[in-house]
Amino acid sequence: MEVTEAFTKVESDTSTNSRNEFRWLKEHAIAATKQTASPARQGWRQRLRALCVVRGRGRPLQYLLGTEYFGNLEIVCKPGVLIPRQETAASVTYLVNRLVQRRSQLPSRLRVLDLCTGTGCIPLLFHDELYSAIAKHPRLELLGIDLSKDAVRLARLNWQEQLKDQTNVRGEKSPRVQSLERTNFMRANVLARVASDENPTTPSVEGLLSDASASGEVRSEWDILTCNPPYISPRAFNHTTARSVRNFEPKLALVPAERPGLSDDEAGDMFYPRLLEIADFVRAKIVLFEVADLEQAQRVAEMVVSRNAFERVEIWRDDPSQVNDHHDHTGDLKCVRLRGEGNGRTVVAWRAEGLDWLGE
Amino acid sequence: MQKAPWICATCVQRAWRPLSRRGMRLQSTVASQTADISPALLTRARTVAQQHASIEKQLASDFDVRAARKLGQTTGITAALKEWEKANESLAELNALLKDSTTDKEMRDLAAEEMEPTRQALSAATAALKTSLVPPHPFAHLPCLLEIRPGAGGSEAALFAGDLLRMYTAYCSNTGLRCMILKYEDADGMADPRGSDAPLQEAVLEIENEGAYGRMRSEAGVHRVQRVPATESKGRTHTSAASVLVLPSFPSESDPSASGEENWDDPNSDYFIDPKDVRTDIMRASGAGGQHVNKTESAVRLTHLPTNTVVAIQDSRSQPKNREKAWKLLRSRLAQARREAREEELVAMRRSVVGVAKMGRGDKVRTYNWGQQRVTDHRSGVSVQQLGDILQGGDELEKVMESVRQWLGEQEVLGLVAEEEIKAKEEEKQKAKAKA
Repeated sequence: MEVTEAFTKVESDTSTNSRNEFRWLKEHAIAATKQTASPARQGWRQRLRALCVVRGRGRPLQYLLGTEYFGNLEIVCKPGVLIPRQETAASVTYLVNRLVQRRSQLPSRLRVLDLCTGTGCIPLLFHDELYSAIAKHPRLELLGIDLSKDAVRLARLNWQEQLKDQTNVRGEKSPRVQSLERTNFMRANVLARVASDENPTTPSVEGLLSDASASGEVRSEWDILTCNPPYISPRAFNHTTARSVRNFEPKLALVPAERPGLSDDEAGDMFYPRLLEIADFVRAKIVLFEVADLEQAQRVAEMVVSRNAFERVEIWRDDPSQVNDHHDHTGDLKCVRLRGEGNGRTVVAWRAEGLDWLGE
Repeated sequence: MQKAPWICATCVQRAWRPLSRRGMRLQSTVASQTADISPALLTRARTVAQQHASIEKQLASDFDVRAARKLGQTTGITAALKEWEKANESLAELNALLKDSTTDKEMRDLAAEEMEPTRQALSAATAALKTSLVPPHPFAHLPCLLEIRPGAGGSEAALFAGDLLRMYTAYCSNTGLRCMILKYEDADGMADPRGSDAPLQEAVLEIENEGAYGRMRSEAGVHRVQRVPATESKGRTHTSAASVLVLPSFPSESDPSASGEENWDDPNSDYFIDPKDVRTDIMRASGAGGQHVNKTESAVRLTHLPTNTVVAIQDSRSQPKNREKAWKLLRSRLAQARREAREEELVAMRRSVVGVAKMGRGDKVRTYNWGQQRVTDHRSGVSVQQLGDILQGGDELEKVMESVRQWLGEQEVLGLVAEEEIKAKEEEKQKAKAKA
């Protein structure tokens, strides 16, 4: 038990949660020890002690256990790829619930593009939630894009796991499995307009999509664009991120690459103008971008409004499904509606075509 | 020289008192089945039989689902009534034969011989008729949750609660019931049931089979243990207790075709919980969220505001799973509480006629005595010597449970009789009023 205490001291978490973490690590250590059949295997206590020591140094629990729960899915996590966050799942679930409420309006063919996909958690959860609500939805197409090779590899792994599980449960013929089979994960650079920038081997998103559509692989029109981009400003990264995030999660997924001559806020917001360009390129009817807090949400909402291309803009808080009684509007942006409880978490906007799907 | 065993002074004194004042009840006094049936019950059975006949006629002309269901409910009573009337008639015939002075000796002997079996048949038919009149418990067909908590007695009580949990788990696996541990909390908080050394604080066992509630209903109440605890250094026997709650478990997806009571999405249902009345607290570190932090909290706490019922689950790493479990537990607890409130009303009404025992969560129901290797159930009065087999959830436990189920059935018949008598009295009053 002294091990628990050791890491309770290091972690700033509440003690009940440390106890839970200890229990999960213990279960993991016991299960892992059972699996290794080598004669010179170490005992689970020894393994547990080693796990507690690295956890005490700040290594994220999800990297140690190898997975994180995201909605109803268990997503595989590996060092080098951002761990999925609960708030992201809450936004995705809420989006699907809104779409499902007006299911008669939904087109039979729905295409979802996720940029900076990381573990692939957003498209996979979107798929799971949509088919849980509408088991016979005819055609959902998903594409996840990331700059990192590790991320694309991990996203493909998670996708294959899902495909295996779902095929076992529902059989190959179900629309749910067929939709998963059409899913894809690819590499592209979101920030670069043309491929030549710094990394000649990685195409830009536009380049990838038009190449692919030329070869008949995927079409370049997407109904829904989602993205959880790097959005932490360099200053916030040094001051407000938790130690286990700062030291152990990939900076590539957290902070946009530094460019000279930008203010701190601008550096943090770097992805959003590009995302809106891509949204126009693929003619996305609904966009959903995760943001750091209410201030960034308002800046992004302003960008969206100033483009004059979207009918509705909303800012969703950490838990958008909670009913919010205090009708707080966002400063100058009277037309932007706030939903839910918690900090500002996502900016959602939709065009006239999306009005039928999401309503007023 | 033979040495008399030591007997406690109180017991010696009690031995002189008559049985009724000794504060004990012999096993034989419980299962007495009388052949007579109260006229109130009989009237009720006859009314049901008449209804049955008219429904049958109606169904012959056109089919109706509700009528068909009603017919199914009344079939048992009608059949039992027919049996009873047949037995009653043959007894009456025999009596008439015996009384008649013109009967010759041979016939009289035959009739006398027939008397005893006919009486037995009648009493069996009476018992069957009474049982058929008792409506089935509204939760009897549902799966159930078993909550075990240590009572008075410190860590010894917690150890015993752990024994009970193992006993029920073993009972389930012996009898082919599917069960799983929904919640296991020791003194340090959530724990793994296999590797916890700390004393048990609360355990919830879910038994998924249909009808598990009806089967396990007999287990609700306070279980008392008398033994020398492992923690005791001087070898003294301690008495401590653990409480067992049996809650109905509702399917996680509400079935809209289910009857009104079970469909908990229906606001008219007795078990409806307005989501607005439930506050959900997701226990996560406050402050920054999103990519800035990497939270591992998954605990969910639900508070039902009108009754201040709190359920907290932090078992799984998945928040949706914890939330689902918490809702399940909350629904079960509220349903049981509402059911108990209703039963309380009924019991209060029945008490005005006769004293009817009710066994609730506060009553001592069973004693496990290690010194004598004995288990006694205080409701059915059954004592069993195979303590070991009981703790391993073996056949002896099933035997004890069955005796309690019978006892519960008898209690319900008594309650029913009381209820019918009240009704009959009220009707008479009204008739008297009408005359006046």
